[in-house]
Amino acid sequence: MARTEIRVGGLGGQGIILCGSIIGKAAAIYSGRHAALIQAFGPEARGSACSAQVIVADEAIGYPYVRHPDILVLLSQDAFVQFSPQLKPDGLVLYENELVQLGGKLPTTARSFGIPATRFAEELGRRLVLNIVMAGFFTGATNLLSIDAVEKAVIDSVPKGTESLNLKALMKGYEYGRGLVAPT
Amino acid sequence: MDRDGFPRVARLKDGSSVEISLASAGDGPALLDFYRSLSDEDRLVLKDDVTTPGWLARFLAKLASGASTSLVARADGRICGEATLHRTLHGWSRHVGEIRLSVAAERRGKGLGYALATGVVKLAIDLGIEKMVAYLVESQIAARKTFERLGFRKEAELARQVTDLLGAKRDLFIYANDVSHIWAAMEALVEDYSSHEGH
Repeated sequence: MARTEIRVGGLGGQGIILCGSIIGKAAAIYSGRHAALIQAFGPEARGSACSAQVIVADEAIGYPYVRHPDILVLLSQDAFVQFSPQLKPDGLVLYENELVQLGGKLPTTARSFGIPATRFAEELGRRLVLNIVMAGFFTGATNLLSIDAVEKAVIDSVPKGTESLNLKALMKGYEYGRGLVAPT
Repeated sequence: MDRDGFPRVARLKDGSSVEISLASAGDGPALLDFYRSLSDEDRLVLKDDVTTPGWLARFLAKLASGASTSLVARADGRICGEATLHRTLHGWSRHVGEIRLSVAAERRGKGLGYALATGVVKLAIDLGIEKMVAYLVESQIAARKTFERLGFRKEAELARQVTDLLGAKRDLFIYANDVSHIWAAMEALVEDYSSHEGH
């Protein structure tokens, strides 16, 4: 029974919950799998710690909380400090490498890949799509979900009129992720 | 395929199809031919004298700088329509883009103007433009309908602003479309905050 535990962590205003929701939707609605999402955010609209717990599984999910994530998606240093000790020994860390410094605190068996997602989003024209770049990076670096499923989840999740730029952001992250994990 | 999903094929109402692509410096001579093929009356409603090499040089410089983004439609190897977003890259109106649209006479009434305008409006939204404007003469009824279908509304009317070929004075309308709400919705979506849940 395959069960993948994912924690997306960052700050309010970075679209952490939307990123988690897109991963969950892509799994549950567009891949025929099971998914659970639990969101947590602080009392301020922006800037407080925020995280999403996402489970993707082949069978029904009885316990929806993430205790030891297989995958961490990190967009702030605080999220790294808070969640990296929970990572499974052979886990994977995907991080925004201009916002997060890993600092050698990960298990030696863990893998990690960084992406300058904020810069990519700004180059695309809007910093707002940072979380979509990360969703694409997640898709490209993990192979957990097909890009088609994630693309549908993005279209389904973002406001009408913003699809085109959001899909460009998704593909930017996806291709960057594929490039990092591709066999040399 | 280059950025933004172009080139793409647009099927028109009469069953014919055209290829729509992002304009580049290589399109210069064909663009000049296209504009020179328009009638005097059509060219009258254009802001610039688009038949001169000087205009083309300025246009290509704006494309290169990003101040203009243009789509061209091609059929039978010739340009048959063009839509351009003009914007200022600094100053207090940097969130505003002006859209200009021209379609060859034989292709009008077939949906080409709408296809070009739709494409350039999407490009504008992606570029962060929050408000779009189009200057339309009262007699350009089809063009006005095209922009109205895309959400543009008449925002200002300049009486007797245009002189036509017969010397008659025409009103000029400024159509506008404020699309800032589109990205405001995205901003709300990434707030990671709810006033009624999750605490």
